[in-house]
Amino acid sequence: MADHTELDWNWAFYKELVEDVDENRNIIQCISCGKCVGDCPAAKVSTFNSRKIIQKVLRGDKSVLKDSDIWHCYLCERCKRVCPKENINIPLLIINLRNESFKRGYGPRYNDLRKYVEMSERYLTKGTVLEEPLGENLPQERIDELNTICDFARIKYVFKASKEKQKSKRKKS
Amino acid sequence: MNFNNLALDLHEIEKEYPENPLDYFKEKKICLFKACLEKYFPGVRWGFQDLLEELQLESSTCLNQSCCSGTFFQRNLITRAQFSAINERNLNEMNQQADIAFFSCNGCYNSLLRGRDFLKNPEVRVKTQEILNSISKKVDGERYPGIYNILENPKLKLVHDLDFLYLIRNDVLNTLKFDLGNLKVAIHYGCHYLNLSRDKKTLDSYFGSKTKLEGLIELFGGIPVDYQERESCCGWGASQLLINPREALKITYNKLKSAENVGADFLLMPCPTCLYTLSKPEYRDNIEKWFGEKLEIPTIHLNELIAILRGCEEERCISLTRKTPRLEEIFEIITQQ
Ligand code: SF4
Ligand code: SF4
Repeated sequence: MADHTELDWNWAFYKELVEDVDENRNIIQCISCGKCVGDCPAAKVSTFNSRKIIQKVLRGDKSVLKDSDIWHCYLCERCKRVCPKENINIPLLIINLRNESFKRGYGPRYNDLRKYVEMSERYLTKGTVLEEPLGENLPQERIDELNTICDFARIKYVFKASKEKQKSKRKKS
Repeated sequence: MNFNNLALDLHEIEKEYPENPLDYFKEKKICLFKACLEKYFPGVRWGFQDLLEELQLESSTCLNQSCCSGTFFQRNLITRAQFSAINERNLNEMNQQADIAFFSCNGCYNSLLRGRDFLKNPEVRVKTQEILNSISKKVDGERYPGIYNILENPKLKLVHDLDFLYLIRNDVLNTLKFDLGNLKVAIHYGCHYLNLSRDKKTLDSYFGSKTKLEGLIELFGGIPVDYQERESCCGWGASQLLINPREALKITYNKLKSAENVGADFLLMPCPTCLYTLSKPEYRDNIEKWFGEKLEIPTIHLNELIAILRGCEEERCISLTRKTPRLEEIFEIITQQ
């Protein structure tokens, strides 16, 4: 049940998130019933609690961006199916919060960042996330198009960082 | 409901072709969307391709199709507009060569529908078209006109392999050489199949329980067994296995264990990403290390299973690099009838 009073509401953070992703507007309908938590895989194995995250956002509590909790969501969309309210999209909210967290330099504690680097690199050089596709390779012109689409995206920075690392390794050796 | 008109309307086909829905697909050009993970499980693609051939449906893959990029969107490495542009580029390419695109992976299927959903937001739509404009400028004149525009009314429709196979189940049955001989099968649908609303026209089809795999198993002579974790996630969770491996693997463990507890002979699923998570030897080893239990239940994709039942060679329908415990045993049980 709600562990706050009317005075706790602070819309600044909510508005920021809505401005960024309009669909976040719908979280205001949340009645704190907790159904999403009951059926959530992340809640079964961690302290992740989608209801509490929504409440924090509605109270303007930006500590959610620092909490490791937001990095526990499985983006499985189960909550969308069980929520009694229409159009509350928790996984999209979580992706948005993670974005904000990244921007502020918090981010997750990836145990294996190497995998992300490898996947980004393969995508921008081969158009797939695995070593080689099953069947023919994507033509170079199409790969160039993917690179243009991804201009200024985080995927490019991850990719560039991997190249620079490789270079400095080569120099050292 | 938020039905995405890119999804093939299965109810309409059932209504129009009550006797034999397969007729709808005759003369249609079919494109098999290439899921990255089919690289590890080639039987998922080949098994399906061979079946279509036997049903006299012509299929191809699209040379210019890239990975769906769902994995990058879910990891916050690309924006919504970039994600939509990647998907729209793929749609443009497939729309040129096919009427229907088939999907063997829950993730890819969801990505293409989700990319379209994002376009409902005017700001994302404008940005997506800007990105598409920037690449179409570079495209040489040899290619078709209009590339790459957001497609207003694409002729292309999308369908998940499972939904197609269930729709034409009687024709599939006619191609089978073996049956399941009462093997007990635990079903895993995968979150992005179970919880997907984008391809549903009615609330009933969204909320109602999903039973197509059970239906197929019964038809093929097996016994679907219920288990507590039937609807739970495989554990992949958009990289949870990388970010929080122990917690994620607990979910995988619970799922496998729950299926073993009810005596299932194997676990069946319609998605190669779930298959990867539920079978990877490294994950099974870590389960043993962290939770003290060696779990040996074999796992298999629906397309692979159909290939086995059709009497396809082992090498063609099951990747040899796959070391899922006891899978060969299942293969032998089925094929030695
Ligand atoms: S999408 Fe995230 S919050 Fe929703 S049920 Fe899945 S893990 Fe829980
Ligand atoms: S199920 Fe919906 S209404 Fe209930 S707490 Fe979760 S988000 Fe709020």
